[in-house]
Amino acid sequence: MNTLIASYRKVELFFGNLKFAVVIVSLFAVSLAYGTFMESYHGTEYANRLVYKAWWFMAIQFTMFLSILFATLIRLPPKKHLYGFYTIHAGLITLFLGSYITYEGGVDGTISLAPNSPSRSITLNEDEFRIQFPARGKEVSVALPFSAGEKDLKLDYENIKLGRFLPFSKEELNWIPIKISDPGQTSSRYKLYNDQFGETLTLTLHPMSDFNNTLQLGPLNVHYMPASLADCFSSQEQHGLIVWNGENRGCKTPLQSEIKRRKSSNGKEIVAINFEGRDIAFIPEMSPLPLNTELTLDEKSPYRIFSRKLFEQSAHLFLFGQKAAFYNKNSTKWETGDVRKDAPLDLPWMGFRVLLLEQRNDSYPVMRPEYMKPIQDGGETIVGDKKAIEVSIGSDTFWVRSGEPVAFNQNGEKITFDLTKKNITLPYEIVLDRFKMDTDPGTQTPASFESFVTLFKGNDGSEKHHIFMNNPLKYQNFTFYQASYFQSQEGPMGSVLSVNFDPGRPAKYAGSLLLVLGSIWHYFLRRKHLKTGGARA
Amino acid sequence: MRNLFILLCALITFSSSAQGPMNFCTDDLETFPVLAQGREKPLYVLAGDSIRFITGEKKVGDYSAVVAFCKLSLKAFGMPLELPVNVRVDHVDARKFLGISEDATSIPVNDLRAKNDLLIAELRTLKENNSYKKELSKIAGRLKTYEAVVTGQAWTVPVVNNGKVDFLALSEFLTEQRVTSAGSSGSSNPVQILMDRAKADYLAAKGDGYLLELQYFKLNPFLWSLLLSLAAIFAYVLTKNHLFGTVLTSATILLQIAAMALRVIISGRAPVTNMYETVMFSGFGALVIAGFITLYRKEISFVIAGLAYNVLCLMMMKFANGMLDQGISPLVPVLRDNFWLSTHVTTVILSYAALALSWLLANSILVRDSLGKLNSADYRYQVDLTYTCIKFGVVLLAAGVILGGVWADYSWGRFWGWDPKETWSLIVLLVYMAILHGRGTTWITPKRFVPLVAGAFMSVMMAWFGVNYILASGLHSYGFSEGGAIFLGSFFLIQIAILAVTSVKFKKPA
Repeated sequence: MNTLIASYRKVELFFGNLKFAVVIVSLFAVSLAYGTFMESYHGTEYANRLVYKAWWFMAIQFTMFLSILFATLIRLPPKKHLYGFYTIHAGLITLFLGSYITYEGGVDGTISLAPNSPSRSITLNEDEFRIQFPARGKEVSVALPFSAGEKDLKLDYENIKLGRFLPFSKEELNWIPIKISDPGQTSSRYKLYNDQFGETLTLTLHPMSDFNNTLQLGPLNVHYMPASLADCFSSQEQHGLIVWNGENRGCKTPLQSEIKRRKSSNGKEIVAINFEGRDIAFIPEMSPLPLNTELTLDEKSPYRIFSRKLFEQSAHLFLFGQKAAFYNKNSTKWETGDVRKDAPLDLPWMGFRVLLLEQRNDSYPVMRPEYMKPIQDGGETIVGDKKAIEVSIGSDTFWVRSGEPVAFNQNGEKITFDLTKKNITLPYEIVLDRFKMDTDPGTQTPASFESFVTLFKGNDGSEKHHIFMNNPLKYQNFTFYQASYFQSQEGPMGSVLSVNFDPGRPAKYAGSLLLVLGSIWHYFLRRKHLKTGGARA
Repeated sequence: MRNLFILLCALITFSSSAQGPMNFCTDDLETFPVLAQGREKPLYVLAGDSIRFITGEKKVGDYSAVVAFCKLSLKAFGMPLELPVNVRVDHVDARKFLGISEDATSIPVNDLRAKNDLLIAELRTLKENNSYKKELSKIAGRLKTYEAVVTGQAWTVPVVNNGKVDFLALSEFLTEQRVTSAGSSGSSNPVQILMDRAKADYLAAKGDGYLLELQYFKLNPFLWSLLLSLAAIFAYVLTKNHLFGTVLTSATILLQIAAMALRVIISGRAPVTNMYETVMFSGFGALVIAGFITLYRKEISFVIAGLAYNVLCLMMMKFANGMLDQGISPLVPVLRDNFWLSTHVTTVILSYAALALSWLLANSILVRDSLGKLNSADYRYQVDLTYTCIKFGVVLLAAGVILGGVWADYSWGRFWGWDPKETWSLIVLLVYMAILHGRGTTWITPKRFVPLVAGAFMSVMMAWFGVNYILASGLHSYGFSEGGAIFLGSFFLIQIAILAVTSVKFKKPA
């Protein structure tokens, strides 16, 4: 028993010691300052994940709590000149308890109200990964760690493996190897630039890539085509017709004399061209598909026809790996040129040039999320705000990004994956009747935000409420505050309310009151003791 | 517009008197009511703000802001006149970009206009929102304000319909129809008649309450307070009898109360809503707290420290225009609550004021001690005075932080959200708590207490200015390149230098 008391005294002396208080208070202040700088650089969520909601920060706060608690216990039984001190420390202890109750049992979320449609779902701040099997009516939710850095989840469900979780990421270009190299699935990256503007273009013929074979950049259209088609664009034949075979990518620009023309029954021109040893008939103004023997369109044929003339009116750039073709309005001619890595090719539009950055036949480009510390500017995260999870099923590996659900077909069963925010459902509904934003007279600056809502309480009927800044709606345990607004798809404004349930509130208020009263007592109402005892300084 | 110009010219040409529209631009217009930035105010304020924003000066050539603003506005109607308007350019890189000398502080507005396309293109190309880009946006904003003035968009004119007042831009107000009908009455200056009528209608509908703002700015009460405070300091230091100083101090306090009351009446809210007002209130608060402690402790040092701090604040208000905007503008919605503004913000600012007193006292102890002017009893006594100020500061700060939590809970539903401003106010409290707790240990002796208190005020400056001028700008604009950050950086450097220099003296045997 005595040893127990002695070891308790040791603990009490350790935590209740003034020097310990100085150390822990200073440590707390330094961590907070670190947190504010991290927030300034990387945004609020990163600071929360790195500092304010991190385990070590919780540990510092808990240690402070111990320090305050033992500092009080060590000064018992009560001494009259310490009444203010006891009150301050009791206030702090109550504050800490209140905060802990809020941390454990509180709810802090938002509810988005589109105009005139009922809502009952509160979005919380925590992330969640949802796996749904719609056929079986089954859903699995995985709570995600609140970490600032990348985490390997190492989770298995049935044969679904969850790998890396990136709380912050940005998309980076990755090359996936192709098992059998195929010149028809080539990919290239180019730089298109003039004196004011520059853009990197990634183009591919590979069907699995996240990129396409066409791109639009303002008024300019870019087409990426197999290299074998390049020669067909260089011909100066006036008719401009090009025939090509989609299977072997062979092509031909027939000589004028090689084209046999006749009129169809409805007056359209049918052209017949000898290509790869066969006579193939098309109606170019109707379809790129050839005609079969019944003179209807042959959808199974690999042959296509098109007229370059279609691409003479506006700006079109055709890229064939290391060659390019375009119509030059100044010379009224089709021109071709080499696109190389060392020398740019001049284009006839606004001083633009194109340069080849790389060309690959053995792999294709995809966008993959890569972890990065987010960057904030002006209160918003400008880079790195996407979350992502790596999912493997059998030999397939793919990424699920926040806000972009993915559907996967596993042996005929559909599985959907969604990285989203946790939500809870209210036992009643809220409808936004109207959202009102006043502006300061003569300006566009908002002066107030107001939501007129109807609360449907099930069997208890409904009631109207007016929510605005500093005037929340309180119902049952929850309080709804005007937080933000958005432009709904239908046109009128939607409203965002923050929703809050705080069971620690009474303790926090009581603690605050004790703290302030105690401070006044301690610093101003005990001068007599100081005078008789002498100022410590 | 062109027709109107011909009409106006015709009126000048055919009228025998010299009363043309150009003579219409006089300083009498300063009482003309306008609507700008969401508030109704006299033209004096709008013209002054616009000219100061565009040029950084109070006048254009020999013309007062009101006359220059009026003349520029008449350009919208084709009036052929050139005023020497020079647009302010502060950043060296911006000067290089605009092709002016690195020492030039401004560029003639027509040169800038010619470069507007280049300026817009440069702004689009710049990805990082650094100080250079901010300066270019500001210059673009200055040019935009200038264009608004010379197109008759900036000047608004009240039009009363059935007792309801609407404001029209001058360009929309001076229509051919209005001017012709006013001119048909035989007057030589129809524009003057129209504007006089608009003002008279406004006065009949809404009264002349808006003129208070004119009086407030013209009286310049804070400049007088500055002079009174300085005089009070001299009176206390130079005369044995404190009566003279006390009278001057009381006069300062009364004048500042009156000035703040005017501001409250004009803006309709507690005078603690932007940096300018917090500086103003903290200077005043420190003086009142110091006066109160002086009465209680019978110690004149407090009130001298209070006056000195008040002088510092008033000088900042007078000279740091780039950082502190003296204008009265509408508030963001969430701050529109006078109860919480006048409790939470005033409590926090008062606590900073009390801590500022401790900072001044601590620095004066450091300097006097290093000069060997304090014996050990004096030293103890001075430390005790400093401690008294910290007590006030800490209690007020704890109350202020808690009131902030209660306001946040009441407005947003959360007591605490680790927002940088609230976090830094907590850091300040923790810093002073660490020092106060440390006094009870062997770590913080009186000799260490004083430099710590002097240094601790840097946390107050960080919470007060740093959060807005350094943290709020984010990673991309980090750097001591703007007014606020330069001010704060210089403050830190000077404080650290004082600590360093005085600590060297400490090591010498006393």
